[in-house]
Amino acid sequence: MVKRTSLITLGLLLAVGVATAWAQQRQITGRITTAVTGEAVVGANVSVVGTAIVALSGDDGRFTLAAPAGDVTLLVRRIGYRRRQVAVSATQSAVEVSMEQDVFNLEAVVVTGQATTVEQRNLANAVSTLNAEQLNRAPTPTIESALQGKIPGALIQMNSGAPGGGGQINLRGVTTINGGVDPLIVVDGLIVSNDAIPSGANAVTAAQAGGNPHNQDNPVNRIADLNPADIDRVEVLKGASAAAIYGAQAANGVVIITTRRGQVGKPRFTLTQRLGTSEVAHSLQSRNWDSTAAVAAFGAAAAPFCKGGCPTFDNGGNLFNRRDLSTETDASVSGGTDQTAYYLSGLVKHDAGTAPNTGYQKQSLRVNLDQRLGDRFRVGVSTNVVHSLAQRGLSNNDNTVTSPYFVFAFTPNFVDLRPVKDAAGKDSFPVNPFAPSNPFQTVALLKNDEDVWRILGTANVKFDAVTTERHHLQLVVNGGVDFFNQRNNILSPPELQFEPQDGQPGTVVLGKNSDLRLQLTTTLAHTYTPASGSYSATTSGGVQYENRDLNTTSILGRSLLSGQQNVDQATSINITQELQPVKNVGLYGQEELLALNQRLLLTVGARADRSSVNGDPDKYHFFPKGAASYRVIQPFGGVDEIKFRTAVGQTGNPPLFGSKFNPDATGTTGGRFGVTVGQRAGDPGIKPERQTEVEGGLDAQLGNNRATLSLTLYQKTVSDLLLEQTLAPSTGQLTRIFNGGKLRNRGVEVAAAVTPVRTPELNWIFRATFFANRSKILELPVPTFQTLGFGTSLGAFQIETGKSATQIVGTEGVVGDANPKFQMSFSSDVDYKRWSLGFLWDWKHGGDVINLTQLLYDFGSNADDWTSGGQQRFNTWNSGKTKVYVQDGSYLKLREVTLSYSLPPDVTSHIFGGISYARFSISGRNLLRFTPYVGLDPEVSNFGNQAIGRNIDVAPFPPNRSFFFSVDLGF
Amino acid sequence: MKATNLLLILVVGLAGACDFNIVNPNTPASIGTDPSRAEVAAAATGLLIGSRADYADWILDAGILGREAYRFDPADPRFVTEFLQGPLDPGSGAFGGDHWAEEYADIRSANQLLNVIGTASKLTAQEQDAVRGFAQTIQAFDFLIVLDGHTEDSIPLDVNRAVTDPPAPFVTNDSAYKYVSALLDTAQNHLNLAGATAFPFDLGSGFTGFNSPATFIKFNQALKARVEVYRGSRGCGAPCYTAALAALGASFIDSTASFDLGVYHAYGTGPGDLANPLFQDPASAIQFAHPSIRDSAETKPGGGLDNRYTSKVVTRAPASAGTPALTSNLAFIRYSGPSASIPIIRNEELILLRAEANLGLSNPVAAATDINEVRVKSGGLAAIGSLAAQSTPSILGQILKQRYYSLLYEGGHRWIDMRRTGRINQIPIDRPGTDRAPAFPTLPIPTDEVLARQP
Repeated sequence: MVKRTSLITLGLLLAVGVATAWAQQRQITGRITTAVTGEAVVGANVSVVGTAIVALSGDDGRFTLAAPAGDVTLLVRRIGYRRRQVAVSATQSAVEVSMEQDVFNLEAVVVTGQATTVEQRNLANAVSTLNAEQLNRAPTPTIESALQGKIPGALIQMNSGAPGGGGQINLRGVTTINGGVDPLIVVDGLIVSNDAIPSGANAVTAAQAGGNPHNQDNPVNRIADLNPADIDRVEVLKGASAAAIYGAQAANGVVIITTRRGQVGKPRFTLTQRLGTSEVAHSLQSRNWDSTAAVAAFGAAAAPFCKGGCPTFDNGGNLFNRRDLSTETDASVSGGTDQTAYYLSGLVKHDAGTAPNTGYQKQSLRVNLDQRLGDRFRVGVSTNVVHSLAQRGLSNNDNTVTSPYFVFAFTPNFVDLRPVKDAAGKDSFPVNPFAPSNPFQTVALLKNDEDVWRILGTANVKFDAVTTERHHLQLVVNGGVDFFNQRNNILSPPELQFEPQDGQPGTVVLGKNSDLRLQLTTTLAHTYTPASGSYSATTSGGVQYENRDLNTTSILGRSLLSGQQNVDQATSINITQELQPVKNVGLYGQEELLALNQRLLLTVGARADRSSVNGDPDKYHFFPKGAASYRVIQPFGGVDEIKFRTAVGQTGNPPLFGSKFNPDATGTTGGRFGVTVGQRAGDPGIKPERQTEVEGGLDAQLGNNRATLSLTLYQKTVSDLLLEQTLAPSTGQLTRIFNGGKLRNRGVEVAAAVTPVRTPELNWIFRATFFANRSKILELPVPTFQTLGFGTSLGAFQIETGKSATQIVGTEGVVGDANPKFQMSFSSDVDYKRWSLGFLWDWKHGGDVINLTQLLYDFGSNADDWTSGGQQRFNTWNSGKTKVYVQDGSYLKLREVTLSYSLPPDVTSHIFGGISYARFSISGRNLLRFTPYVGLDPEVSNFGNQAIGRNIDVAPFPPNRSFFFSVDLGF
Repeated sequence: MKATNLLLILVVGLAGACDFNIVNPNTPASIGTDPSRAEVAAAATGLLIGSRADYADWILDAGILGREAYRFDPADPRFVTEFLQGPLDPGSGAFGGDHWAEEYADIRSANQLLNVIGTASKLTAQEQDAVRGFAQTIQAFDFLIVLDGHTEDSIPLDVNRAVTDPPAPFVTNDSAYKYVSALLDTAQNHLNLAGATAFPFDLGSGFTGFNSPATFIKFNQALKARVEVYRGSRGCGAPCYTAALAALGASFIDSTASFDLGVYHAYGTGPGDLANPLFQDPASAIQFAHPSIRDSAETKPGGGLDNRYTSKVVTRAPASAGTPALTSNLAFIRYSGPSASIPIIRNEELILLRAEANLGLSNPVAAATDINEVRVKSGGLAAIGSLAAQSTPSILGQILKQRYYSLLYEGGHRWIDMRRTGRINQIPIDRPGTDRAPAFPTLPIPTDEVLARQP
């Protein structure tokens, strides 16, 4: 203690002393502009190399700093630009610096620890970094879709086209079989909830019945609450070698999101107004009937519809036919002084749905503040309040024939299900004579609303305990809270055609769910640079405490009077509640050594975690990591720099809540409470899965900074898998959770970028990515078992030693694999004068989809190709060939396209008395799709986010394409 | 520096102070030693809930296999493909692989209770025996349904073991029926030992009249009679029929009482309860009665079809499914609403069991008396005067027909009866060349059961 205190005192003295020694030797003034357009660069950091002298450029790009006498070198840095070093001779007092845009993100600083960062150029892992510009090329409803096609190593797919989101980020293949599947999402240092809480629509669809224990409510995972416009950058740690510092929770990777913060300078006000629309991108047609076939299939009931030939109505197209106006308004104010910086933003968004009574609304308010308290303390506060309302409609599998595309599969197209106006001018819905429900009536009268309020807040305190030339000791304390309240309201009124079937007409569900997460992270980081300057060593360590409290309650009421909507008005009421309290503690430490003129980076680190979800909550599980990178400058002609890197690390995947318990199930009969054996046997010794990843690769900059290439190979081995073994059902229980077995993923990631043209007038950046992954079950201590699916004959995912983890088996054996053979993406951004054009293609090759929607159409002898192929297909399936419905889910999608025009300054200076910029854009998302798959969309998951068992297509919500016109103004 | 230390202490203190031992906040753990009276009552009630879990689904599926019912479910083709055409898929838990797991779950629930009931110090010895007798009777009924569904295969019996132990071995069906019969005897012994004491729990409305150990024995013996008649028809012959008559004598059989007297599974719409899945609004139902039920129904002396037909089946708008299309315009009204009970065993069946046992013991006169009793009282049909003089197969046919209409849609009886009497090829095949002929005699052993035994 004494020693440390004296160190601080020494540090203080040194700092004061140095400042005095350098004071006012001479002044250097300068102006910083962009290389291409000559515009002023605001907020650039100008430092004198070898000293602590720093200045920031102002609104006009100008700076002034006091420099020592003699020749000096200035280092100029600004996020988004390549760093520049400028020599200033002893006599020179003014300098012009032009900065090139950092189109390849080479200057990015990447998070490698809880409080430490490394520059991208030294980074020893293949961490993908995206900036705001790359994220927001085209308007997006949720962050997952903004990431699609941009991260090599990631398979990012939405679960359906339902408004409000629901999508999965899968990094580097299958990392678990029965554990959690989502990456850890960290926003401004806080691990936030990505819970997917079912809406309760199962009360209407009864999909989770008939021996199927899996929910199919098409839930939204709560990362959808984030406002993409608030995001400054996203870093994706894809595997254990990079993510080990997040320990037992990071096996699925980590997505680190940093929100925008204020910059020094005058207040800047931005306003974005978007107007646009969404429409259904694809719908399914059905068979055209003749009257003979119609009567043969549907009996006499069909005859009245087919007098003189059967008419045709596109019921699917008529239902999902909305192109209503969608709007979005984003506004932000930011600015700051050298003491205080602020960023305030607001969002009001309304996405119209493609069917009546569907859509998505979001309002968000964010305040990020940074305050310096003296020389040593910096406090940063981030707060975000979000409200969203998703009207989800009904979709996915059901057992009551209420989900629209489920109904259309059995409704011949000679029936027109559209409402007609009755005498009173109200919509009157025809009874569907061929299925239990009329989807037009269902979507018009059924409500499935999800209303979410969420508050995210973090406070970050940095204390520079010691700052000298040799030592920098920093204490970082980050505390945060994440709370949301999700209310689900489902109302299926008694007048719906299907409601009387169960004898209890009218269904209402009230879901009230909340999750409170508290987190406190304290890190001490010390950097030492010896007098020789030959290396710098950063030592960091700390502790992270996390408390989670998820509480889900749902009230289901059946038998309602028409017009009633409260659960207490129902005659039959069922209430469910589940609590999931979790406590985690992690201790971590890391050493980073940067040496050999900043060419060599060596890192070792470790984390130890304990968690209340483990069988032994007091035991610490240890996860080490190590990494090395070395830069070779100009090894040969045409190559500016090559970095070789390798990294190894371990992470864990915690058991799901309750895995250690052996719970009984409960129920009642005649008002008496009863306890029955639970379906699942727990394991009191359960522990996290352990992933070991080795990755290696190289990053090259080529052709005088005209191109970059990044190549990564990895191997991930997951041992102590969290397995939910299928038991012999004669034991009385269905499954048993335990640790065992081993699986492996091997893959390759390539990212390349090139600027074919770079002139002041024309700037063209082209990017491409490639990713392929193969998984294999290496060991399985239990017999082969099946996970998701609807039984072998409808295609089931089967876990088997020596086989791919995502293989699909049917009656006749292996019939497919959900894993893509490879993925590629191509994107291009062209700036010509004041115009810019950007687009992104996302290509998934291979990866089979179990097309049960087509099976339903065939079962109804209603597929549009019934006579030319459907009948044959159905008979083939019926003869024991599941393969016909396990189909290639390849796709090539034009995810994003944007064309924008910025008004020239001589025009903007006359608008509203002078604005700094004005940009007009037209953009589209998912405008084009090419696929051999016959269905609404091969990008689909009936069971939501799943480690294994995505790619099951059962009457999903149809996919959208959207168009937007946007105006961006800056003041 | 002080601030640093304070913060560190705060963080470490927080971490250390928190109790990480979180007990399951959601559901109770399995019943342990020395359970309280409330725990025993909850476990006993749980046995009824567990036994009820699959019962209605079993009645429907066995009904489809025996052509009592159709289910034209647009949500799943397999009710008309797999069950009628095949192949039966042992890998689908809701079809070929069904009617196994839920029954064994209830058997495990019973074993969990039986394993600890001897330690229940809050119960008297008689009460402990009452619980044993109850649990073993319900367990026997669960085993019987597994056997009914898998009659040509064999099933595991020795299942009272840890889930981590190797699965129980299969035994032949004959030994399994014997085991069930013996289990009912053991249960009867315990119920006798319980004497005049009351059950330490409430059995609910389904057991009205059978809710004390002394009266519950009558239900136990009724089940025993069913098992012995099944065994008799499966080859055991006279000894089993004799045992059946003995059991019937100790049961609640009573030609003068209501034919509905018996034991039921209760359904309801209260919180946590289960609504009767066999009830559907006839106009929009997707479960249909097989047209052959109407076609083979007899006409009453005064005209009109068999009362049992008209009270259980109603005509509605036709519907169809499958290729070639199956059609029916008959809906079930066997159950009046979501809270209607479903019989486990009732007086009407016992009378027909007595007829079958008597026929098996070459007492056609006694058999004919019971058959005519049912024809007249339950069906409103004329008695067949010459019945006793007919051939044994013919009288058996008459018994099976009465069972068909009397026990329609309440236990899968048609399928079980036609199979155990070697008449499965008389089950109507709707689409010759498409549907499997004869109808499937048994469900396969579920895939998971088979896979779990592979090395």
